[in-house]
Amino acid sequence: MANPEVHHLFHNPIADHSFSADQQTLVVARDTSVELYGRSGSSFKLQDELKGHDKTVTSVDIAPSTGRIVTCSQDRNALVWEPSPTGYKPTLVLLRISRAATFVRWSPNESKFAVGSGDRLIAVCYFEEENDWWVSKHLKKPIRSTITSVDWHPNSVLLAAGSTDAHARVFSSYIKGVDQRPEPTVWGDRLPFNTVCGEFLNNSAGWVHSVAFSPSGDSLAFAAHDSSITVVYPSAPEQPPKAVVSISTQLLPFKSLIWRSEDEIVAAGYDCEAFRFQGGEGGWQLAGAVDTRGPSAAGGEQREESALKMFKQMDLKGKGKDDTQLKTVHQNTITMIRPYQSSGSGVAKFSSSGVDGRVVVWTI
Amino acid sequence: MSIIQQHSNATLGDAWRTINIDALTEDSSVNFDTSTLHPPQPEISEADARQINTQVRQLLRGGDAEGALRGCLDTPVYNGSEAAKDAHLQTITEVLQSIKASEMSPLLKSIYSSEGGNEALDVLMKYIYKGMGAGAPKVSRTPSGVTPQSTGGFSQVGGRPGSNEPTGAAMSVLLSWHEKVVDVAGLGCIGRTMTDWRRV
Amino acid sequence: MSQSLRPYLQAVRSSLTAALTLSNFASQTAERHNVPEIEAQTSPEVVLTPLTISRNENERVLIEPSINSVRISIKIKQADEIEHILVHKFTRFLTQRAESFFILRRKPIKGYDISFLITNFHTEEMLKHKLVDFIIQFMEEVDKEISEMKLFVGGTVPLLARAEVNRLQLNARARFVAESFLTPVSRAVAACPAMS
Repeated sequence: MANPEVHHLFHNPIADHSFSADQQTLVVARDTSVELYGRSGSSFKLQDELKGHDKTVTSVDIAPSTGRIVTCSQDRNALVWEPSPTGYKPTLVLLRISRAATFVRWSPNESKFAVGSGDRLIAVCYFEEENDWWVSKHLKKPIRSTITSVDWHPNSVLLAAGSTDAHARVFSSYIKGVDQRPEPTVWGDRLPFNTVCGEFLNNSAGWVHSVAFSPSGDSLAFAAHDSSITVVYPSAPEQPPKAVVSISTQLLPFKSLIWRSEDEIVAAGYDCEAFRFQGGEGGWQLAGAVDTRGPSAAGGEQREESALKMFKQMDLKGKGKDDTQLKTVHQNTITMIRPYQSSGSGVAKFSSSGVDGRVVVWTI
Repeated sequence: MSIIQQHSNATLGDAWRTINIDALTEDSSVNFDTSTLHPPQPEISEADARQINTQVRQLLRGGDAEGALRGCLDTPVYNGSEAAKDAHLQTITEVLQSIKASEMSPLLKSIYSSEGGNEALDVLMKYIYKGMGAGAPKVSRTPSGVTPQSTGGFSQVGGRPGSNEPTGAAMSVLLSWHEKVVDVAGLGCIGRTMTDWRRV
Repeated sequence: MSQSLRPYLQAVRSSLTAALTLSNFASQTAERHNVPEIEAQTSPEVVLTPLTISRNENERVLIEPSINSVRISIKIKQADEIEHILVHKFTRFLTQRAESFFILRRKPIKGYDISFLITNFHTEEMLKHKLVDFIIQFMEEVDKEISEMKLFVGGTVPLLARAEVNRLQLNARARFVAESFLTPVSRAVAACPAMS
């Protein structure tokens, strides 16, 4: 396996990161600002700082074809940054929310984006030509707590969302005049705005940290704070799902997950490294760590044991050096993973960002 | 005291200052209904819990420790009276105390690898914490009388070593089970004890 | 380390490691605020089941987890008056210096001697396993100190008088031990690459 490509950008948490389609530009959310890095050789150099938020920036996303960047923050705002010859021009979005904006993603066709919020709703935003600004429509029911993540179905109408009310849900975000009438899917055929196409809860609950549609859009995976991954296979509109497979792991919870292909999922979080899951409708299993080079691949238990040894040695002065380094590449929680490069069989490379200020590109 | 102050003391008071207005707003996040965070659970009465206890004791007498432990882990009291919950904790504690230290790990591994074993060990972890929490003061937000800490005097005289020997022994059984369960089911198991709203 | 202390500390260690899985979470009640949810108690769904770890009825740890903060409270063994005084002096010295102690709560919660409050900002800038180590080391040292005090004081003087005689000595001792705890925190921070 190729060595991971590690970029240690700074010593602050990275809440979210996004690469441009040509992978020459990397945007990261750092505290209250958004930093834009350009590739130069094998590393990334700071090129620009997008200033406009005055509270923690929670999420960033670059639209692959238009190059527009959307950012959102705990200051309750979202900004769309339009590339121009003189730099990026921000436009404020009319979100109409009174709590933090927590997560933002462009729809695959780039005509809309969805902003999750602590106002217990999702603002689905689209461009209004006549007024020349971005406006929003709210998905409200039956969300009862902060939205932690959203993911778009390939048809740009269905939207999955995870929330701290421990539910993962699938909504229709169909907007007349913006969207084409979508083809019927297993999730539903008639889809007026705010149709709830599915609502899922684990037995042991736990805030949902991440949701993702499979590449076909026909199944949904979510990671929750109970250290589990759940995969839902819907059967037909208005019917109970064919299968709901939940894997409770021995690990710490996962913050983010992506599908590599219809039968493989990659998830990463508080264990500071990424893990692979393989399976299908019949069942899923944890297939091991992505980074199998180091001793860290043995899992949490061994680390736990070595942590005990470390602590036994702590009294001896000057021992601080060896135990301040984790064996994983990331030195703190991984906050986000995203597909980086795809090949015929699915995602071949993915990128991860963490609280340790690193962005790492992994080859699976 | 001025007349104005007397007036306001008598008629208004300052109780309004401590009203939590969020609680009065139906839509406020303070009023989140946590019962929506778990599926409805069957109610288990105290009599049911005692019956389980009898069955489990029979299994223990027959030497089937795994059957006994599995039996009580498969019927956690999520929905029931305090008495029923305590009775079930009692049953589980009895089983745990009757199993030898050398048998703990093989038994847990066997349960974990069986059908639904994951869930069973999550339940066991919940009871281990419940058992350890049994002697602790209930966490409550209403101010109550004396606290052991703030008196500053010699309120601890009762707590001599010796008087806590029995609890010490019981705790040490629970602590060694805790360690063994973590060895088998990982930290995820502790995480689920915290997230799960089906509380024992 | 005594026989029963090790499993106790081990249980605290694994429970803390599992509980310190925090996120940056903005308040759902106060606009543009980010507060420790375990203290605010304004959103029931982001506060989790508290865990108690007991060694015996006089020694226990309460871990109260939430989405962006964890409150850890320790009840230190106080089998007699001397231990009670020592613990009291000791915790008082520390809480008066809470601001240089980052994670210390100024006031312990009811029924406990000392409380810590760890938020997502602490786990972001300090290494998580070092924070856990710190709490464990703290508990271990306190246990050791109090056991040593027994040998240190000794004698058959009536309890009250003995306490009076030794008050000054105790004070100095507690102060010395407490001071040694202010250094590991700064050391943990200094050693952490994220703070460089």
